[in-house]
Amino acid sequence: MRSRAATLLIATGALAAGGFTLQTWVTPAWAVVRARQPALRLDSRAVAAGQGVTLALLGGFRALVADGTWIRMYTLWEQRDLPAVETLAHLVTVLDPRPVYFWLNSARILAYDFPAWRIEAAGGYDDVPAEVQRRVRHEQARAGLRFLASGREFHPQSPELWIEQANIELNRLVDLDAAAESYRRAWSLPGAPYYVARMHAECLRRAGRKAEALAWLVRLHPTLPVADDGAAAGLVLSRIRDLEKDLAVPPERADRPPP
Amino acid sequence: MRPVRFSLARVGLIAGNTVREAARQRLFNLFVVLALMLVLGARWFRDFSFGAPELRFLADCGFGAMAFFGSALTITATAQLFFSEIENRTALTLLAKPVWRAEFIVGKLVGVAGLTLLFCGLLTVLLAAVLWTREGALMQEFPDNFAQGRVVSYAMVAGAGAMQWLKLLILGALVLLVASFAQTQTFAIVTGFLVLVICHLQHLALAAYERSGSLFGMTASAAIAWMFPNFQVFAWADSLAAADFPGWGQVARVVSYGLGYVGLGTALAVFCFRKREI
Repeated sequence: MRSRAATLLIATGALAAGGFTLQTWVTPAWAVVRARQPALRLDSRAVAAGQGVTLALLGGFRALVADGTWIRMYTLWEQRDLPAVETLAHLVTVLDPRPVYFWLNSARILAYDFPAWRIEAAGGYDDVPAEVQRRVRHEQARAGLRFLASGREFHPQSPELWIEQANIELNRLVDLDAAAESYRRAWSLPGAPYYVARMHAECLRRAGRKAEALAWLVRLHPTLPVADDGAAAGLVLSRIRDLEKDLAVPPERADRPPP
Repeated sequence: MRPVRFSLARVGLIAGNTVREAARQRLFNLFVVLALMLVLGARWFRDFSFGAPELRFLADCGFGAMAFFGSALTITATAQLFFSEIENRTALTLLAKPVWRAEFIVGKLVGVAGLTLLFCGLLTVLLAAVLWTREGALMQEFPDNFAQGRVVSYAMVAGAGAMQWLKLLILGALVLLVASFAQTQTFAIVTGFLVLVICHLQHLALAAYERSGSLFGMTASAAIAWMFPNFQVFAWADSLAAADFPGWGQVARVVSYGLGYVGLGTALAVFCFRKREI
């Protein structure tokens, strides 16, 4: 018996000693793998998340488990189970942070659906004071923005995340300056749709920064492809004219794009 | 009496016998069929995919099947093939002849390596075929998205398949180590699955204790991290792009790390088995 215990003790010690050398040897390679795979940089939520995460991390099935969790989240969303939806929305992005879809839709649920649920749970729109409603809207909008910021750690080149941020700032926080800045950031990324540049100018105009809006549109207009309907070069030109009129720009200083 | 030398031929005979025995077992066929069905059926799961690109989703399912069923196969087959020799007394007959115990252990491991190579090879080829076919169909459907040609790097798929095999080989060596001193097959199988979980999650424990700053926790998790290899090091399949293929230095480091654990596990299994009464 003593001999068996001694054998196991020696084997354990040898395994730890050999493993120490091998772990030291592989450390640079592990650093590269971790840097390339964001899902391996998990926080305590992942440690506590239970069997779904364990299964997904045991080598593969990450996309499948994340999709299953997303479906489960939707059934809870129909029941308006706020804590469970919030937990699963976070869990889905921990399981598989690669699809932008999860980040966008989770942020929308946090920013648009949760305030409505909270206000209805507190007595409804007619009974809850306007100030409380405003506070709830702002709290949830900021939660949505935090979610989008986390998503940008994994997708720094995604214009969709900045567009969603701008939409929340515009529609929920009614912060025109912040929305204008977010639309501008979205426009600076590859693959951004043309309307984002127009929205930037529109936010500037509505914020009273008409001269900046005009300068932006004048710079933008020559870069727009005339043949592309989405670019709406004609619409941009008409907005330039409107702004020139509002700002009383003399005709000789007005923008004259080539015919 | 002349001492008997360690013989690779005898190792080969034991390994061949191990593979034949494993292939005869229903369990092997069951896992192979289940994994094949999952890889082939992944196309029908894609309706449940919300955000991941389709080819990425297919690859995830394929490598998931390889890792999941491959691990189950490795653990059960290694324990079963080892203990069947002990319980049927064939080990006694075999070791009464001029056969080293080390040859027996190495032969078993080589047999398991052959079995898992067959499994991973089959699934990797099938997965590559599924990806190739679907990519071709997508190229016809959306030619603009494939202006630069095919997007899937099949070298990456093959590399990821090889890494899965290496992972299973380490698992086999560790299960063999447990089996070399375990009294029952059930204990070896249960411990094998625990080893699998620890190897996948040890980096999380290490990171969590480092954040907590607990000296005891850090020491304990570091000791665990030394004893159990980090299986996430072998996770290659996150990207299918040729640009993400790791450098050869990185590949060499990871492969030598894996083979180091295989060697360590096997050597310790031989050490424990030599002390064991059969």
